[in-house]
Amino acid sequence: MPESILLPLTITLPALGFALLGLFGKQLKEPLPGVIASGLVLGSFLLGVLMLLQGGARWQVENWLPGIPFSLLLDNLSGLMVMIVAGVGFLIHVYAIGYMHKDAGYSRFFAYFNLFIAMMLTLVLADSYPVMFIGWEGVGLASYLLIGFWYHDRVNADSARKAFIVNRIGDLGFLLGMAVLWAVFGSLSVSGLKQQIEASQALSSLLPLAGLLLFLGAIGKSAQVPLMVWLPDAMAGPTPVSALIHAATMVTAGVYLLARSGFIYVNTPDVSLLIALVGLATAVYGALSAFGQWDIKRIVAYSTVSQLGYMFLAAGVGAYGVAIFHVLTHAFFKALLFLSSGSVIHALGGEQDIRRMGGMKKHLPQTHIHGLVGALALGGLPLLSGFWSKDAILTASFEYGFPLYLGALAVALLTALYSMRWYVSVFLGQYRGQAHPHESPPVMLWPNHLLALGALLIGFVGLPQPFPNLIQPFLAKATGLEAPHQPNMGLEWTLIVVSAVVAAAGLYLGWQIFQRTTFPRWFIRFQHASLRSFYADELYNSLLVNPLKSMASLLFGADGGLLAGYQGVARMVGSLGASLARLETGYLRLYVAGLLLAAALMILLGVFR
Amino acid sequence: MIHLALFLPLVAGVVLMLAPGLGRALALVASGATFVLSLALLVRYPGEGLAYNFQTPLLEPAGVYYAVGLDGASLFLWLAVSLVVLLAVWLCRVPGRFLALALMMETGLLGIFAATDLVLFYVFFEATLIPSLVMLGLFGGKERMKALYTFALFTLAGSLPMLASVLAVRYLGGSPSFLLSDLLAHPLEGSAVGLVFLGFALAFTVKTPLFPLHAWLPSFHAENHSSGLADAMGTLYKVGVFAFFRWAMPLLPQGFAELQGLLLLLAAFTALYGAWVAFAAKDWKRLLAYGGVSHMGLAALGLFSGTQEGMVGALFLLAASMVYTSGLFLFAGMVGERTGGLELNRVGGLAKSAPALSVLGLFLVMAMVGLPGLSGFPGEFLALLGAYKASPWLTLLGFSAVIAAAAYALTAYQSVFHQHETRAARDLEAREQVFAASMVASMLLLGLYPRLFTELLEPAAKQLVLLLGGGS
Repeated sequence: MPESILLPLTITLPALGFALLGLFGKQLKEPLPGVIASGLVLGSFLLGVLMLLQGGARWQVENWLPGIPFSLLLDNLSGLMVMIVAGVGFLIHVYAIGYMHKDAGYSRFFAYFNLFIAMMLTLVLADSYPVMFIGWEGVGLASYLLIGFWYHDRVNADSARKAFIVNRIGDLGFLLGMAVLWAVFGSLSVSGLKQQIEASQALSSLLPLAGLLLFLGAIGKSAQVPLMVWLPDAMAGPTPVSALIHAATMVTAGVYLLARSGFIYVNTPDVSLLIALVGLATAVYGALSAFGQWDIKRIVAYSTVSQLGYMFLAAGVGAYGVAIFHVLTHAFFKALLFLSSGSVIHALGGEQDIRRMGGMKKHLPQTHIHGLVGALALGGLPLLSGFWSKDAILTASFEYGFPLYLGALAVALLTALYSMRWYVSVFLGQYRGQAHPHESPPVMLWPNHLLALGALLIGFVGLPQPFPNLIQPFLAKATGLEAPHQPNMGLEWTLIVVSAVVAAAGLYLGWQIFQRTTFPRWFIRFQHASLRSFYADELYNSLLVNPLKSMASLLFGADGGLLAGYQGVARMVGSLGASLARLETGYLRLYVAGLLLAAALMILLGVFR
Repeated sequence: MIHLALFLPLVAGVVLMLAPGLGRALALVASGATFVLSLALLVRYPGEGLAYNFQTPLLEPAGVYYAVGLDGASLFLWLAVSLVVLLAVWLCRVPGRFLALALMMETGLLGIFAATDLVLFYVFFEATLIPSLVMLGLFGGKERMKALYTFALFTLAGSLPMLASVLAVRYLGGSPSFLLSDLLAHPLEGSAVGLVFLGFALAFTVKTPLFPLHAWLPSFHAENHSSGLADAMGTLYKVGVFAFFRWAMPLLPQGFAELQGLLLLLAAFTALYGAWVAFAAKDWKRLLAYGGVSHMGLAALGLFSGTQEGMVGALFLLAASMVYTSGLFLFAGMVGERTGGLELNRVGGLAKSAPALSVLGLFLVMAMVGLPGLSGFPGEFLALLGAYKASPWLTLLGFSAVIAAAAYALTAYQSVFHQHETRAARDLEAREQVFAASMVASMLLLGLYPRLFTELLEPAAKQLVLLLGGGS
């Protein structure tokens, strides 16, 4: 693979945008900051395409840290991620030019946005774990800044801080995982470790531990159970942020980490099973929590949690390529769902409660189409992108174990139901609010047109046999991991039909049910618990956060006491010091005598110990 | 050149003490020249070993020399110290005598790193205390005498056993002098080793500081002048990690081996404890004091791992944190100057009226949190890699501090800069902008291209690993 200076340049472009807009953004008139920022991301995208066409690239600086190079690699896997990050990222940048119109922090917003892209590209292009960690925490920082973008509101600032701290728990896992790998293999280069592990006869017994710790990092970043609590709150940021960071790109970093480290996980079946179980649990939890939300963005946020669970399930059962395929389709339809939510919010002057929406089909015809395509793709309507990738996950989990498949199928049904709840409440029926809805400007509509096109069509790169599947062999070239063996075609198509029927039934049912205005008692009760996301925050607060806080106050007090405790000792030493001070007379012989005395004391103590 | 750099601040300090009217200009020239000289010494450094060696007998019969020299580790620290002093002098508008004391202290600090004779080291180590105490006594807050008393006693309590150890290490080992090279050539063996090491350890632990000997630090910072100048100098005085590295560990490898377990435990506990306690702090000074304690715990964890990467990390973290922790104290001083106090709940929403100040704060806070790409990370990370090899469980314990660090640092930052704006504050003026730009540049340089400095530290660390008995 050729060395290419274009590779660091890909990262440098948006980083430059961050620096420029951060320093001089205030002097620039709207929409210049947005245009500059978008242009730079487009530049990164084009560079990525160029290098991918050249068959990849690498670049490195030796001994960035002792024995650890600063190395970047663009292969098919990271190349595809660059396409997603910079491609979808570009569209969302353009959308934000319209969405952030007249915001006091316009240029600050685009500075942060470019910082995010630079860090995300660092994350995916890294060929050494510490470099990946730069991106990993860098996107965390960007996420922190953007969630708390409107920081004067306490709630936003709190959400931002919460996201950062919860992620840090996972990051400690990432750090320790690197320490284990370093202690065992003496290297932290991803491709170096890959070669080492693939070539070794007997694998270290610590490999599962390393895998587990890295997985902990992935749990944090991708909001998996039990560290999922930060993602719904992250919706406090402007909607383009939710679309870019908390749906299309950053939160999928955990999946990417697992796929990139597939060479570890294929050797650790127990950890992989755990990954699959955590993924399934998250998928169920997210789906159930989506039903009770009234905030248009929080519904989509919980659906993201759930879909990320799907991706982890795929990675857990060893279908890394399938997991990345779902990252790809999800990036399109989820960004679309968020941006059309954004258009609705925009049209209603900031309204986010779906109880005061409805009827947008009439008021916002184009946005309605976007929302519909997004919801159907999410719900898994046959032939749309979400259908193909979800089906691939179902097939892979069927191969792995029937219970997992059953669970995943149940989630598919739930997904179809709640995506219709979202669609119906927002777009159908009569408008229930007082604002004067107006369709978005072209700068916001066009990105959505393109995203909708993607949500419709992108699934065709991953068709089941006998059709040509483009994406799996493409990714396998990078990971070196073949997809788990294919089921026979009859079985595969049976599964496809089952999933198609389930999705279609779910969509139809959801469409019917959620147009009603009265619901049975049990559903209301369920919805109540779902709204509070089954009390996860309360649980954390009472079991962890509050005890830790009280302990901090306690220790703080005790630390003052520690000093008081020394007072007694101090007085003693003090008098000793004072008498010693009297010895400082300037007479050399006294000093020498003192020295000798001390030395004698040491010797005596040494001898009679 | 080394002597010039070493004593220029002292001379300037004395002159300034006598003629405080010369004030900032003289202090700037002196500290600027020292920084440039340090930089020049660094550029001309051959890459490994002790360079710029010089020795001349001070007390011939007692085997005491004026002997100085610099290796990669001490050069890096020289650069950190001289940069911080320069920036602090540039930033702080304080009386000339205050600056004079800071300059005198600079010579003491540079001497600590440069001394290659144990008695000379001891003299620098102790003498630096004097300007620090005077600063606290002259310019401190209401409770300053109490803080001063505490600080002095802790230091003394550590120094006395250390003095005994200084003597023991030479006479029991049979070395002809107190020169580092002689002492290394006549290693001390036998049963007294542990005890002699303990004597050093007490003094160095006070100055690292490690739990439970950190107790002097919070009140020291809380009572010092609100400009943060004295706190910055105090931060530079936390030389324990270096002292272990240069003296206690190489001279007494066996003694270190005996106490390694205990020291690792203390270090790990300190790291978590400091960060945890910091969360409950109500003002900037105590927050930073405890946060700094936590960082030194992490550095010590790396150092006591006895591994090469751990020690490189420890020294890197020491030097880097000298810069950003001092920066944070000075930054807190800037906030205090604008809002009239250092309590964290005093104001909110400053980011709106003072965006540049808030950006500086964010950079500093993130460096402290150990965000990769800034100067806090490389040291912390290498310390982690080393510490894990020595003790996985203590590493887990100690490095849980990275979670706590995010909690205390961001909570404090948020309460002052985010949330509802309670009052407006003026943003950075030109003088402060220069300070901010230099700070940010130093953090980015160390964070993005750590190789520049890790390569300086590696040979020194490698040597100590050999002395400690092998390449674990």
